[in-house]
Amino acid sequence: MSAVLTRSEAEDLLYREARALDERRFDDWLALYADDVIFWMPAWIDETTTTSDPDTQLSLIYYEGKQNLADRIWRLRSDLSNASEIPARVSHIVGNVIVERADAGEAVILSAFTAHHHDPRSDRTHVFFGHYRHVFRREGDVWLISAKTIILMNDCIPTVADLYML
Amino acid sequence: MGEGMMKKERAMISPGELIDDRREAGIFRIHRAMYDDPHIFDLEMRHIFEGGWVFLGLECQAASAHDYFTVNIGRVPALVIRGGDGVLRGFVNSCPHKGARIAHAGCGHARQLICPYHSWSFDSSGRNKAIKWKSGGNYTPGFDADSHDLAALPAFGVYKGFVFGSVAPDVPPLMDWLGETAKLLDLIADQGEEGVELIPGAVTFTYEGNWKLQLENCSDNYHFTSAHPSYIRLLERRKAMEAASGTGFTSAMDSQRHWSGEDDEIVAGTFSFPHGHVLNFGIAQPSAASALFERSDWLEETVGAVRRDWMFNMRNMTLFPNLQVAENASSQLRVIEPISHNRTRMRTWCIGPKGESADARRQRIRQYEDFFNPSGMATPDDTVAYEDCQRGFAGKVSPWLQGYQRGMASRREGASPLAQGIGLKPDWSIEGNSRLCDETIYQSYYREWARRMAGALAE
Repeated sequence: MSAVLTRSEAEDLLYREARALDERRFDDWLALYADDVIFWMPAWIDETTTTSDPDTQLSLIYYEGKQNLADRIWRLRSDLSNASEIPARVSHIVGNVIVERADAGEAVILSAFTAHHHDPRSDRTHVFFGHYRHVFRREGDVWLISAKTIILMNDCIPTVADLYML
Repeated sequence: MGEGMMKKERAMISPGELIDDRREAGIFRIHRAMYDDPHIFDLEMRHIFEGGWVFLGLECQAASAHDYFTVNIGRVPALVIRGGDGVLRGFVNSCPHKGARIAHAGCGHARQLICPYHSWSFDSSGRNKAIKWKSGGNYTPGFDADSHDLAALPAFGVYKGFVFGSVAPDVPPLMDWLGETAKLLDLIADQGEEGVELIPGAVTFTYEGNWKLQLENCSDNYHFTSAHPSYIRLLERRKAMEAASGTGFTSAMDSQRHWSGEDDEIVAGTFSFPHGHVLNFGIAQPSAASALFERSDWLEETVGAVRRDWMFNMRNMTLFPNLQVAENASSQLRVIEPISHNRTRMRTWCIGPKGESADARRQRIRQYEDFFNPSGMATPDDTVAYEDCQRGFAGKVSPWLQGYQRGMASRREGASPLAQGIGLKPDWSIEGNSRLCDETIYQSYYREWARRMAGALAE
């Protein structure tokens, strides 16, 4: 582990996160997050502008704290959610990784993603695509995600968009 | 009825063959073809969505001179724009020259709208300003005698910031069409000194199902504990964690028990109004679980305690056919946009009183995202169920659906005691305990549907 997060290390973290979602290893996925993570997917105000202030504008997803992500994972595995009963099969592709900023304790990493999913229940295939912005923070000897922003370009959502599809 | 059979039988179809409405016998059933037939869908677009009043938006979407927003009235693109004179008007969003849409964005600001195809231009009051190279065009006097202005919507009106329009001219005056439901709009609009607003950020989703599935779901008190147990359990988990750690997340439903199935007193009910408008409600107490709580005292002073209490009740209102305002876990305004017989687009917003505090606004938004978004924890459990219904509708071995009769034996003509409390005069009322979960509320939709479609189905 280098003192400052390198692009190669950042790519590895992003790919591991994506793979954990694809393989539904949700505990491994949650372990990548800091307790005080801000997980944010803004909504769109108009054709060209996303919302920028979660306190005064609507988001598609906005959670402060890992517990809220754990709640979503609990729901996915609860057998109490009709929409989650037969999960979609998902494959994330993450690329165009840019180290926006990297200091000793923190790094901002930009990337692009596509997340293909196939829903066997409806026999429907769809792809969500957009950009990620991850903030990684060093805690001891690991880098944890302290903030993740998902800019979803195709925001007309076909029925369901759950965390593991994005 | 399959599509082929439908064609053969087209001349014979009447609303009575789709709606088995025998009040005296205690029967009300709907034929599955009502939801999965393209021909019926086409007639619904012409006679319901393009045949009468529909909701267009909130006045705040075009607050200043030259602001506009665009919507669909059935399949007709419409433009709502505020002229330089400050007057809000509605038009068909289509150039009189070749028919192109002249406004393309969902909302914007334009002193002048110029058709991108041949540059005919219009001012923000819809008047034609210029026809490109008019003088060189060798037009006839006949052409000059025609109006070149944008076609105004034949009916257009605003009540307390709620904007309505119609592409059909033969509609009742807006206030007659709204009738008693104006009092329900008051319960929303009067939450703020200056009314309510759309909170920035629109969320749109589609589902592979008929539009009437959404229409019914909003009025459905029966599904809550069946479709949303994961949400209910999460509220309990969060409450426990909040007690332990002081962190966590609230829902406006934290103070509500009308859905629990445990209360035996009167906690819920429905009101049915003319024109297919309805309200379903559940009793709640003013509480800090609701973002409205900070306004509780002010509301009591301005609208009185009884109406104030009604503002805290769970209220899902539908103005048939396309507006639903759901005030339960948070506050949602949604517009139903049918795409085809088996596909629907929902345009949704969080609404709140103008001028509410930063804390209340944040609370309202967080509660909304959690429950109402298609990326949240409740709506997907509904929409996936709609899609299962849609697939099930293909099975017409036993064609009549039975989900419209629950509560029928407790129907009361006119106003119930709770309705009388706010001077509301519904056609009929049902009140009951948390297990009553009235389904006769949908009968109002289908009686209006039958009235509007009468004659049309024989086409």
